[in-house]
Amino acid sequence: MTPVVELDRVSHLFGARGGKGGTTAVADLDLTVRPGEFTTLLGPSGCGKTTTLRMIAGFLQPTSGRILLEGVDATRTPPEKRNIGMVFQSYALFPHMTLRDNVGYGLRTRKVASGEARRRAEEALALVGLAHLADRKPAELSGGQQQRVALARAVAIRPSVLLLDEPLSNLDAQLRVQMRRELLRVQRETGLTAVLVTHDQDEALELSDTMVILNEGRLEQQGSPRDVFPRPANRFVAEFLGYDNFPEVPGHGPVTVRPEHVRLLSEDAREDSGETGLDGTVGEVTFQGSNCLVEALIDGVEGPGSVLRVLHPGDDLRPGDPVRIALPHRHLVELPAREVTTA
Amino acid sequence: MILRRPFLSLLAAAAFVLMLGPVVILVGVAFTAGSTLAFPPEGLSLRWFRAALAYGPFIDSFGTSMLVAAVSTVIALALGVPATLALHRGHPRGRRIMENLFFAPIVVPELVLGLALFQQLMVGMRVTAVGALIVGHTVLLLPYTVRVVGASLALADARLEEAARGLGAGPVRTFFTVTLPVMAPGILSATILAFITSLNNVPLSLLLTGPGVATLPVEMLNYVQSSFDPVVAAVSVLLLALSVAVALATERLVGFTKVFGR
Repeated sequence: MTPVVELDRVSHLFGARGGKGGTTAVADLDLTVRPGEFTTLLGPSGCGKTTTLRMIAGFLQPTSGRILLEGVDATRTPPEKRNIGMVFQSYALFPHMTLRDNVGYGLRTRKVASGEARRRAEEALALVGLAHLADRKPAELSGGQQQRVALARAVAIRPSVLLLDEPLSNLDAQLRVQMRRELLRVQRETGLTAVLVTHDQDEALELSDTMVILNEGRLEQQGSPRDVFPRPANRFVAEFLGYDNFPEVPGHGPVTVRPEHVRLLSEDAREDSGETGLDGTVGEVTFQGSNCLVEALIDGVEGPGSVLRVLHPGDDLRPGDPVRIALPHRHLVELPAREVTTA
Repeated sequence: MILRRPFLSLLAAAAFVLMLGPVVILVGVAFTAGSTLAFPPEGLSLRWFRAALAYGPFIDSFGTSMLVAAVSTVIALALGVPATLALHRGHPRGRRIMENLFFAPIVVPELVLGLALFQQLMVGMRVTAVGALIVGHTVLLLPYTVRVVGASLALADARLEEAARGLGAGPVRTFFTVTLPVMAPGILSATILAFITSLNNVPLSLLLTGPGVATLPVEMLNYVQSSFDPVVAAVSVLLLALSVAVALATERLVGFTKVFGR
């Protein structure tokens, strides 16, 4: 199948006009989005994820490289000729139009007959559960409702790809989780290909078929959440996904392990056969309700490599207690020796 | 409220008295039956309104004022709206400096501006008084149109145009279906503000009058220099009524546009 979106060594330099260098926003990025897939571009602010999305949409031109949409070179195609459905973080609903007219806008530009346009606009509104508000103006809606309208507007034109620029960041935490499900449902029901930009790892994990992790304009790792999450390719990805621990384990190279995967045993207990055991001492203990976040210091190791943050069930440990630290091998992730420096 | 914040209430009351007191006195004087600018009025009559409307120079200069206000407002909008668009949507280099340059006419004393225009246009290029007035007022109004229309653009979501483009609208269609409607309330406010500013201007108009051509405020100034009867008060009330009418119309129209808006 022809990929819906293909980036071929795409770079973007900001302020590169006039022959001067400029700053690199995206560098030599290759990306393939297959039909029906949900792809997320994940990374901290300034990693180039939004720049990448805006290049796919046609709002920005690559400094070098090619962008193919449905197999056709669209590098120089203006946005209005790309058949994209864009959802903005700020919603960008037209304030002077009713919801029906907002959602129908892309159908009118496509010269869809007015009766048909009206029907399809209402259908799209129904898809996000807002058909009953079709005659309202955007200002009369809550943020969550506005975001649904923005989604309906993008979906109504049956785009070849749905582009979502941090669509949930302006919503409060509870609503965000709810809208995530909604987004996934709409994408599944319409069968649309989607590319979503986010800095929220939970969002990426929950939504993605493929997650693409970017840092400083470069690809760090890509794959399905089930592949990427348990096996971060380097320290940057590990840190970004919440691997808090980068301990110096005698006999190992650089490794990382999640706080919930380390076990703290009493000092005379023995670890299981699939685990590496280390002697340690309890440092700070933070009570978190169902768990305690315990800092365990590896005996005989100095510096930051001596600290392991552990999510420990129960509240039986106190600072200064001697403990046995058990690191399960299957959760110990080896990292490449040459570290990618993180700013 | 009054009990809870006595000091603030007192200040507010004082401000109202300061603002409205002179207006009340002016209106009172205009309706006087006597022949001096005295308050309280000696009886009520409309004689000074009749006198004002019978005084040729007032009628002529009112015509000039309306013409100058209308034409210079239109020109200021025609120049100001594209300039604002370029400033807010074109992301030019040195945007701040350019924006401030547009406000220069507010900072330069109007008399200086008037004198300069008088020298260049009327003496140097033999432009007529009406022509010079229109040029001068256009310069005066440009900062208002740029700022007020700019405010409506600055408040609007900068991604609206991109949203339209993404939905398949070309640049022209985007402008007419999205940018222009979003700017419309700002353009309306700018029109009214500019019109009233032009209508009430004295310092600039004072220097750009010619033989037999003056704006109404300048004509009023001339009148009070020679005679001191309530005719001027009557004219002022008429001008006031016009401004209030315009303001009320604005309220209706802006209230109307709010239905569309944010």
